[in-house]
Amino acid sequence: MPSPPSTTAVARRGPLDGQRLPGGASFTLGLAPAAARFILRGDAAARTAAGAAFGVALPARLGPAGSGAARAALWLGPDEWLLVGEGEPPADLERGLVAALSMHPHSLVDVSQRQIGLDLAGPLAARALNAGCPLDLRDQAFPVGMASRTLFAKSEIVLWRRGALRYHVEVGRSFAQYVVNHLDEAARRAPPL
Amino acid sequence: MRISCPHCGERGSEEFLFRGAADPRRPAAGAAAEAWHEYVHLRDNPAGPYNELWQHQHGCRRWLVVTRDTTTHRIFSVADAALREGVS
Amino acid sequence: MSYSFLRIAREALRGGAGWGRAWRDPAPKPHYDAIIVGGGGHGLATAYYLAKEHGLTNVAVLERGWIGSGNAGRNTTIIRSNYLLPGNEPFYEHSMKLWEGLEQDLNFNTMVSQRGVLNLFHSDATRDAAARRGNAMRLHGVDAELLDTEAVRAFVPVIDFDNARFPIKGGLLQRRGGTARHDAVVWGYARAADRRGVDIIQNCEVTGIRVEQGRVVAVETTRGPIGAGKVGLACAGHSSRVAAMAGLRLPIESHVLQAFVSEGIKPMIDTVVTFGAGHFYISQSDKGGLVFGGDIDGYNSYAQRGNMPLVEDVAEACVALLPQTSRLRMLRSWGGVMDMSMDGSPIIDRTPVEGLYLNAGWCYGGFKATPASGWCFAHTIARDEAHALNAAMRLDRFATGAVIDEKGAGAQPNLH
Repeated sequence: MPSPPSTTAVARRGPLDGQRLPGGASFTLGLAPAAARFILRGDAAARTAAGAAFGVALPARLGPAGSGAARAALWLGPDEWLLVGEGEPPADLERGLVAALSMHPHSLVDVSQRQIGLDLAGPLAARALNAGCPLDLRDQAFPVGMASRTLFAKSEIVLWRRGALRYHVEVGRSFAQYVVNHLDEAARRAPPL
Repeated sequence: MRISCPHCGERGSEEFLFRGAADPRRPAAGAAAEAWHEYVHLRDNPAGPYNELWQHQHGCRRWLVVTRDTTTHRIFSVADAALREGVS
Repeated sequence: MSYSFLRIAREALRGGAGWGRAWRDPAPKPHYDAIIVGGGGHGLATAYYLAKEHGLTNVAVLERGWIGSGNAGRNTTIIRSNYLLPGNEPFYEHSMKLWEGLEQDLNFNTMVSQRGVLNLFHSDATRDAAARRGNAMRLHGVDAELLDTEAVRAFVPVIDFDNARFPIKGGLLQRRGGTARHDAVVWGYARAADRRGVDIIQNCEVTGIRVEQGRVVAVETTRGPIGAGKVGLACAGHSSRVAAMAGLRLPIESHVLQAFVSEGIKPMIDTVVTFGAGHFYISQSDKGGLVFGGDIDGYNSYAQRGNMPLVEDVAEACVALLPQTSRLRMLRSWGGVMDMSMDGSPIIDRTPVEGLYLNAGWCYGGFKATPASGWCFAHTIARDEAHALNAAMRLDRFATGAVIDEKGAGAQPNLH
């Protein structure tokens, strides 16, 4: 009898692994912690049901993300949300949502590996973002907590303001290097504060 | 050109995808070839106000009906296309 | 008055006192055998070839503005015949042959410069597409060469060969392609048509087309009604509006195309290069400015100006191909209004209205077609039937399905 094929554990690699990301006194760029990510599409009833199971209410309109200790729900459109669970295995997050949504028409897609999170911080962060993103990032228009899908140069991103000087950028993994290069260049070329 | 999305507020036109005339209505599946030709190919192409379909592709992904002056690029109104169709 | 070296010498000695107008400024007559609506390159060429090839000289060209005020003054001057499909290629090659003899024919320096047109490719797939197009051209007797990276480097050393994202794998070269001076083309055709008796009437906007019992009889204009045996429409950009005056609805949308000229610099690029990893084309004018452009803005527009996203897009492609241009200043930019047809190819045909003919749908490629467009449209008007060269460019091809879709994009005008 032939012996069973041997299996090898394959390590998952991120698009920016092994790279020294740009950082300085007024701008730092880091990788956000690994997270489970899901895109939920559905109507208002699905939104309510998902919020109850997720433990964080899903916003009904553009505005601050709903957030808990390690979970957040970002509004992307009237029928679309990005659900993030920092440090959670995707399967755990999915199990609870699937059960809660079973009676509602919806789509729930695991995008944990499709995109990665970048963590931008420092007084130059908004300026670096505005080099490729035309959104008004002043406090009155884009307050702390606000999240929106938009463009950074040629790449689609989800921009989430997490603090006065701190932004989270969700980007497709194949676009990550492009966005990092642009942000780095923009921060280096920005006039001194 | 900036478009005021009813869901996301005013955004640059680069976030949107243009699809063309909003008024032509899809004929019934069994309609005559002439009706399909008219729907697929023929356009009013006015110089002035025009109802157009734009999708907020890099925002809320909703289809919008934008009424815009083709001679000045001025936008008169933007509405979610689903409202017009009575669907959500 | 013929232009010649002797004439220049004589006028030089006489202080230029003998130079007259290049064409007359006649008042419209009550009736013409044929009226061409639109005094752009295509309309003027049509009138010229009606007179020259078909002996029809009781002809008027009606122009809303002045000669050179529309797209004739708003293009990037490229001439080429590197098309793929049989419905297009012989037509554009005829145009190229007319360009090659145009200056002698018109007795006017249209500055035709066969400096080559090189379409770069950056991947195996685009190489295959270029080879296929080159083979299609050769089957029609047109010159086409497939260059590898080293041959491209020898031909145009100035472009960036170290671009890791868009490596240059080679290019499809048509050496007979090049540029022509855009204003000189309309001036040359206007003068040559005028010398054969054609009336060129400027500041005369057509406001209506009179049709009686299914037949065109006159046009209404801002300078009064003018009777006509036949009427040819050559007003690309505004074809839908003018055709609507005769009750026609066209398979056309009007879109805006921007183009740019940099400040003048020393000679840098002596050919026409197109980037294959985006839509971008560039050449250098005799004054030293880099002349370049890219895609249409992508939405319906009759405004002769575009928007910033496309400006950025073109600038990015320019710097990707030619990094040394990153600090160049832009001298001018402009927008022209294009007839974008539903398959990306033009229409030269009769219409359902008897005596009314249509020349439209040039998308953003009408300049190179100017001579053949006029030549074929004149034939179609004079003989009341298409020439073999424009036989496929029918108005009813969208209804019958015999479309000429070079790009395979379907009935989506902003994607052609």
